[in-house]
Amino acid sequence: MPTRDTAGPGDRSRDGNDAAAAASASAAAIDVDGLELTYADGTVAVDGIDMTVPEGEFFGFLGPNGAGKTTTIKVFATLLSPTGGAVRINGFDARSDSRKVRESIGYMAQETSIDPELTAAENIEFACEAYGVPRDARTDRVDELLDLVDLADVADKRAEEFSGGMKKRLDAATALVHRPPLVFLDEPTTGLDPKARNRLWEYFRRINDLGTTIFLTTQYLEEADQLCDRLAVILDGEIVADGSPSELKREVGGEVLDVELEGGQAAGERAADIAREFDAFGDASVAETEAGISVTAETAREHGTDLLVALRDAEITVTGFNIRAPTLDDVFLAITGEELDADDGEVAR
Amino acid sequence: MSAPETDDRSGPSARSGNTFVGDAWVNFKRWNLKAVRNPFVLVVSLVQPIIFLVLFTEVFGNVAGGAVNQGLPGINYETYLVPAIAIQVALAAAITSGVGLVNDIENGMFEKVLVTPMSRTAVFVGKTAAEVFRIAVQIAIILGLGVLLGADIVTGVAGAVGIIAVGILFSLWFVAFSNAVAIITRDQESTIISANLLQFPLLFLSSAFLPLEALPGWIQTFARVNPVTYGVDAARSLMVDRDVMTVIDVAWFGGTLDGVAPGVAVLVGLDLALGAVAVALLSRASSSDVK
Ligand SMILES: Nc1ncnc2c1ncn2[C@@H]1O[C@H](COP(=O)(O)OP(=O)(O)OP(=O)(O)O)[C@@H](O)[C@H]1O
Ligand SMILES: [Mg+2]
Repeated sequence: MPTRDTAGPGDRSRDGNDAAAAASASAAAIDVDGLELTYADGTVAVDGIDMTVPEGEFFGFLGPNGAGKTTTIKVFATLLSPTGGAVRINGFDARSDSRKVRESIGYMAQETSIDPELTAAENIEFACEAYGVPRDARTDRVDELLDLVDLADVADKRAEEFSGGMKKRLDAATALVHRPPLVFLDEPTTGLDPKARNRLWEYFRRINDLGTTIFLTTQYLEEADQLCDRLAVILDGEIVADGSPSELKREVGGEVLDVELEGGQAAGERAADIAREFDAFGDASVAETEAGISVTAETAREHGTDLLVALRDAEITVTGFNIRAPTLDDVFLAITGEELDADDGEVAR
Repeated sequence: MSAPETDDRSGPSARSGNTFVGDAWVNFKRWNLKAVRNPFVLVVSLVQPIIFLVLFTEVFGNVAGGAVNQGLPGINYETYLVPAIAIQVALAAAITSGVGLVNDIENGMFEKVLVTPMSRTAVFVGKTAAEVFRIAVQIAIILGLGVLLGADIVTGVAGAVGIIAVGILFSLWFVAFSNAVAIITRDQESTIISANLLQFPLLFLSSAFLPLEALPGWIQTFARVNPVTYGVDAARSLMVDRDVMTVIDVAWFGGTLDGVAPGVAVLVGLDLALGAVAVALLSRASSSDVK
């Protein structure tokens, strides 16, 4: 891959020629056609997914608990064989060429996966050896990654003594030892504090700038918004929307007017009815929220105050309001009809 | 929060082309490291056999010595007992193999290893080799201790090496067994309990601690099909340098080897059978086919 070698997180040199040939035949890092995965108990976890992720993209995969994100990523990482459809990773067929796929990807599982009896440095060293990082590069690689995930000063402590966040960071480091051209990250920052999360974000962004393709699942819409070039939203095993974050936000249609009300649910219901009947908003979408209502409309900015007046005339007390551009949360609400809330503690499975 | 001083990320990092042996070595090292990290387990799995060795020789030495002497004149109870303790060590250590596998599944390392390009066979060869290595070291310690307590390895160093080899052969079927239980239960306690439950009946209902003739009839019947009897008799033949195989009588070589060979043959057969079961279960557990 001559044009890329400054960016070169590529791991293609072992089988350099045929890998490069396969890669140039399809410049897509991930190429999926009609992927289906049905578990042995009959659960249809993935139900006909098509997607193409070009090399170098930062791709986000969003969905609520149980949508099928982990199942999809496990198929890509060759841990599960598709029960239908075709998957090509870095140009290799995930089913028939799984070893080549494994050589050319990094994978960070949703559940933190480290050896608690080994030290931080030993965990990374083991990963280096497992991925065949050349001996003379290992020491530097271990130091570099320890530094990256901020564990240099506990390098020789056993991982079992680490906090959950430290383990997660160590896990992230071990997925990157061989500088794979494509990295799968399954909710990599869940459970991290903001500082650690920012630091990992920064690193993901940097390796992406250097050419690494990243496929990331997340429950944090902010994370997808911050990092991803393109997103797909998965719901019940099917992709229900995709595009860049701004495209998706545009699809929401207009801006969002949040109104906070006094009087609980009854007031909310009445206010929602009024907003739906409100001609100036055209075909606005109105949702009841915890604090009141949320109206999404093209004309939310121009006619927002008119709605407030109408609410006052109906003797509903408005305690606050805000007009804003839509966020991915709104996208999610619009598409799935449910709020994606990473903190609700609900874990599928 | 400045970016760490890292890269020249320039050079594409070649996989240094791990071979099968290389992959096995990587895993061998990890499991040895884990064993050393857990000296408690190492010590505990030795303590029980040592307690047996000391208690049995001190408490039963006089009584049992008589029974032993009837069949094997001139052999003291220490000498009689040490091969049995060697087999006990192999048994106890083999249990931890399945426990290690369950732990790996629980902490995600099992899956993590599956996504690396390492040969899966090499991964398990490396792990088993580490366990076998540990068993060899532990048996060597027991032999040394036995000699200190007054046991006599009649065949000398060569015999000691042979006893270690028999111990390893013996351990493999139990390693396979504990791994099979581990994959089926995927639970640490179940694995420990089921393997431990078997340990004492296997040991006591065999020729380990007393000559078969001194035992009740039903125990003799069980002992004849008990793998421990074959392991112990083979090891004991090497220890005392004569054919003391109680169950199968052959005269292929004349002398000590007639006591060793049938035991070894039975153990190899058992290893292959249980090994095949464990390998089948393991490859099903690591296969990517939806299960
Ligand atoms: N081993 C399994 N056997 C049977 N069904 C499974 C298995 N693993 C997952 N499922 C089911 O498949 C569906 C998709 O699960 P998956 O783990 O892919 O969701 P997810 O999007 O990763 O969710 P989360 O955000 O909670 O991690 C769920 O309905 C889940 O119950
Ligand atoms: Mg998941």
